[in-house]
Amino acid sequence: MDVHPRALDYTESEFSGPIPNESELTAGVRIVPGRSYGFFTDTTVCIGCKACEVACKEWNNLPADNVGLTGQSYDNTGQLSANTWRHVAFIEKHSDGAGPGVRSTEKPPFQSGWLMMSDVCKHCHNAPCLEACPTGALFKTEFDTVVVQQDICNGCGYCVPACPFGVVDLSTLDGKAHKCTLCYDRLKGGLEPACAKACPTDSIQFGELDDLHLRARQRVQQLHAQGVETAYLYGVPGGPGATGDLGHLNAFFLLTDRPETYNLSEAPTRPANRVAASLLTGLAAVAGLALAAVAAFSRRA
Amino acid sequence: MNSMEGVVTIVQESRFQLTDDAGAGHLFVLAHRSLAEPDQLEALQRRQTRVRVDYTEPRNIIGLLAHAVDIAA
Repeated sequence: MDVHPRALDYTESEFSGPIPNESELTAGVRIVPGRSYGFFTDTTVCIGCKACEVACKEWNNLPADNVGLTGQSYDNTGQLSANTWRHVAFIEKHSDGAGPGVRSTEKPPFQSGWLMMSDVCKHCHNAPCLEACPTGALFKTEFDTVVVQQDICNGCGYCVPACPFGVVDLSTLDGKAHKCTLCYDRLKGGLEPACAKACPTDSIQFGELDDLHLRARQRVQQLHAQGVETAYLYGVPGGPGATGDLGHLNAFFLLTDRPETYNLSEAPTRPANRVAASLLTGLAAVAGLALAAVAAFSRRA
Repeated sequence: MNSMEGVVTIVQESRFQLTDDAGAGHLFVLAHRSLAEPDQLEALQRRQTRVRVDYTEPRNIIGLLAHAVDIAA
């Protein structure tokens, strides 16, 4: 096992304060303002333990919501919300050709019928939520992530339908928009985001985006060599998920099934792309109605 | 409306943890129309001021909704 040389400086069990640039020891990366950071989520090694969900709630002081059982799955979180910024989706596959909605009665030996994916805000390069925000509460940080400033958010909710992934949500408690901050406060303190640090299988990897892209492509090649030919990356430049002028996603995923299976859009787009067409359609409708009114009144006269 | 006294120990945006006299932590979210601003919470946490929180219990959430945060007498 590789241990960072700096780890030998911290061999005691208790520390008097935070370790400077701790992310170097836990994620192998030093966090420097002005560089791009993100998450690479490898769904093939996710075991659905939900440690990321718990770590996120613990660090961000988020209340548990949707108390009770959904009755649909082992996943009782349900979906991302204003109080849930990480959500581990449990997707049961039907492998015996029984068809959708029909539960398989037999499974091939040593094969899991489950897909698990820890979903999160994608921190889009061209973030539609940020473009829709009229107050400037949503902004790009010095780490190339997208964050809502709570003291500026007026709760208008424009960001909610603008998000092509359905991530941003308004809280019914404080009336403001909430989503993953990629642990902005931790990054400023040189700490790895809580979810990535808590992940026991390294399904969630934090790092510099270029490094993560390289690591992810190598992992896809490895999986292809091992016979998992369905493995591909979602959200890397030029790939699925990074469509419609979104650029790329700072939180991207390694998937083994169609994006829709994971509740991800196959070709998400920026709503801003449709503004010109919508405006022209509206103007054409107004012009048409005005012409019709003129024609109607001139006939009467 | 219920009320609780204690010390603010953790603050994240408009969410905070109040530790009561028995040492138990309670998670609060500032209500939309609360008589306190998130910026004020940080100062209360830093100074470890004893505060009284007026709250209600929202549905389907394991947490409490703070409507007023005052310095305890």
